[in-house]
Amino acid sequence: MGVACVCQVPVAEGKSVQQTVDLLHKKLEQLGAVKQGSFCVDCETYHATGNVSGQPSKLLYVMHNSETPLSCLALFEGGPCLVADANFDVLMVKLKSHFQNAKGHKVECRGSRFRYCDFLIKVGTVTMSSSARGISVEVEYCPCVVPGDCWNLMKEFMQSFLGTSVPELPSVFAAKPEGLFAPADCVDTVTQYLELFNKLRKLQIPGSNVR
Amino acid sequence: MSGGPAVRVSIESSCEKQVQEVALDGTETYVPPLSMSQNLAKLAQRIDFSQGSDSEEDSAEGEPRDREWGKQEQEEEEGTVKFQPSLWPWDSVRNNLRSALTEMCVLYDVLSVVKEKKYMALDPVSQDPTAGKTPQVFQLISKKKSLAIAAQLLLKGGEKLTKSVAENQENRRQRDFNSELLRLRSQWKLRKVGDKILGDLSYRSAGSLFPHHGAFEVIKNTDIDLDKKIPEDYCPLDVLIPSDLDGSAYIKVSIQKQAPDIGDLGTVNLFRRPQKNKGSTQPWHVKLEAAQNVLLCKEIFAQLSREAVQIKSQIPHIVVKNQIISQPFPGLQLSISLCHSTSGEKKSSRASPEKSKPDNHLYVLEHNLHQMMREFHKQQLSSVVMPHPATAPFGHKRLRLAGPLAYDKTEISNLQQSEGLLEKIIKQAKHIFLRSRTARTIDSLASRIEDPQIQAHWSNINDVYESSVKVLITSQGYEQICKSIQLQLNIGVEQIRVVHRDGRVITLSHQEQELQDFLLSQMSQHQVHAVQQLAKVMGWHVLSFSNHVGLGPVESIGNASAVTVASPNGEYAISVRNGPESGCKVLVQFPRSQIKELPKSDIIQDAKWSHLRGPYKEVHWSKMEGRNFVYKMELLMAALTPCP
Repeated sequence: MGVACVCQVPVAEGKSVQQTVDLLHKKLEQLGAVKQGSFCVDCETYHATGNVSGQPSKLLYVMHNSETPLSCLALFEGGPCLVADANFDVLMVKLKSHFQNAKGHKVECRGSRFRYCDFLIKVGTVTMSSSARGISVEVEYCPCVVPGDCWNLMKEFMQSFLGTSVPELPSVFAAKPEGLFAPADCVDTVTQYLELFNKLRKLQIPGSNVR
Repeated sequence: MSGGPAVRVSIESSCEKQVQEVALDGTETYVPPLSMSQNLAKLAQRIDFSQGSDSEEDSAEGEPRDREWGKQEQEEEEGTVKFQPSLWPWDSVRNNLRSALTEMCVLYDVLSVVKEKKYMALDPVSQDPTAGKTPQVFQLISKKKSLAIAAQLLLKGGEKLTKSVAENQENRRQRDFNSELLRLRSQWKLRKVGDKILGDLSYRSAGSLFPHHGAFEVIKNTDIDLDKKIPEDYCPLDVLIPSDLDGSAYIKVSIQKQAPDIGDLGTVNLFRRPQKNKGSTQPWHVKLEAAQNVLLCKEIFAQLSREAVQIKSQIPHIVVKNQIISQPFPGLQLSISLCHSTSGEKKSSRASPEKSKPDNHLYVLEHNLHQMMREFHKQQLSSVVMPHPATAPFGHKRLRLAGPLAYDKTEISNLQQSEGLLEKIIKQAKHIFLRSRTARTIDSLASRIEDPQIQAHWSNINDVYESSVKVLITSQGYEQICKSIQLQLNIGVEQIRVVHRDGRVITLSHQEQELQDFLLSQMSQHQVHAVQQLAKVMGWHVLSFSNHVGLGPVESIGNASAVTVASPNGEYAISVRNGPESGCKVLVQFPRSQIKELPKSDIIQDAKWSHLRGPYKEVHWSKMEGRNFVYKMELLMAALTPCP
């Protein structure tokens, strides 16, 4: 449990996605990080079939994170989020009449996991229907749970290997109430992934090449 | 009321009075009626008391009572058959009075006879003897008969009682096969197969996965000679246990120095434990319990040897015959052996080449092995039990929360036990060994070194993997002043973590030497700390203090510490340097005025400079009086503080 920040790394000039990922791996290993297995974050989209009138139906996103292997997260964009058991997937099958699976919209992010002292760095390739769309980097600072306290440290760390593409404070953390103890948890991480996936999904539609 | 003319009715009393005379003018003169008393006198004159009547005048009595006094004539005409015409109303009265008079006369006569005794006297009347005096013999016979009947009844009752008591004793002695079988069934599982009675003594129903069948057979003990006396421990029931569970077994866990040669491994070391057979338990119970124990020991050993072979560890475990040997620490050997002595073998095979001492056997670990095996059984059993609520998945209860609470991998792995029996027992053995060695080190130091004293306070409550001890280094007589060295040692599985009073945390390895060196360095530091504290008490000023001083010879264990204190008036100063190896060195700085040969100098002209402190002189510390360092220091300080 810690504060995690998900950001997108643009593909290097003239290089493919895989090459950029390898570059990042090398940088991390030079830094002294140790590779510790792999990770996977995936997202499935469901349409709510309740609304008949012209309103766009709400989209329910069901996400899995290999960091919490026995859990399943279900969330609406900007809305409430549910943390459930792995049986939730089976439940969604039963709720076919209310929520229809949008099969073509499944997004996955796979990659390897590095550990550097208190930091966990996950470099992954975002793929949608087996076409790579982008590169995501998640940096988690494990000891702390309050984002405001450790954001500067994380930013500095990210600068050391990401260079220029360091993001600002993610909106999920900025939205937390000031002065109150609002710890970061898996919901925040997954929300950030969702934002990233949606952003990458939108990028494809105008036909810009990401490769 | 009917409507008619009212009729006037007049009532006139009839004339009752007699007319005496009628006067010439027509007035009638009546005879005055008799008054009440006159009437009564008239009637009473008629009573003839001489004539008595014995007839029953019951019916006659009733009549005159309800007559009025005024009417006399009518009753004579209305007579019943019994009513005698000569009797008239006063008859009953007359009779009663006559009888009363008779009674009174008699009474008077009797009283006068009793009182006066003139003509008659009272004389007691002799009693007649009762009719039919019974003869003595007859009485005797009748008494005897009645006693005999009573005795017979009592004897019959007594006979019944003795018979029932004798029957009970007979039953207990005889020990009916069926009652014994009932007793067996109340404690062990039995079932009937054909005409044989089989039982199950394995732990399978308790959750064990050992493939042994653990079946025993119950037979009738018929080899008894009814003519001879039944022996005390006779039991009509006997159990046949499988041949491989015969005898008794136990698991011996021992730690010893590593054997120089590996050749004497695999010897079966038998150490026969005395059989505890209480008289109250039945022989079959003892037999079955021993067989069950053998089965459990076999299961434990099988599990341990399986894990020893399968689990990869840095130093592989050796499994030879009935022994598992592993190395928890270098130079140390942990051997777990299954000692199974069958009842057929005699004591001749008792000699084991190792001649292991009886206290080498760690009973605690043997007990822990049994306990862990039973815990494993219980876990097996509970995992098969249906989960609550019914929709929850199988498995550990806490894991059900893993999903909704988004546990990450570390938390999940914490919940799931992944250690085997062998690993656990090795860890426990390591901890026990480390703890005993630490205790030995501290004790040897405490007995060897007298000056700063070491005290160890062991905590009572320990874990299987962790114990703790508080070590205090003090000087005798100055415990309150010099108590700055207090160490808390947490003895783990492989390391000792030392927490100092000043907050430092030091991790020591399992090496004995490390702990000893550390304690020695702390003792030397204590001396210097003691001087510092003593200076405060004595009023001396601390000029400098260093725990790790960089001057002087280099110590091989730790660092030397030093302190310099000045007397209250500033004239003298004491410098102490104490090292774990080099010992203590005490120097005193004297004021210049006390030095006999002062080097004359042109610069220092003024006399006031002679009050400054000058050269140092070493103190022969071993020749100082005092039983310990701090005492000596106190004496030195006192000596250097001149009386005003």
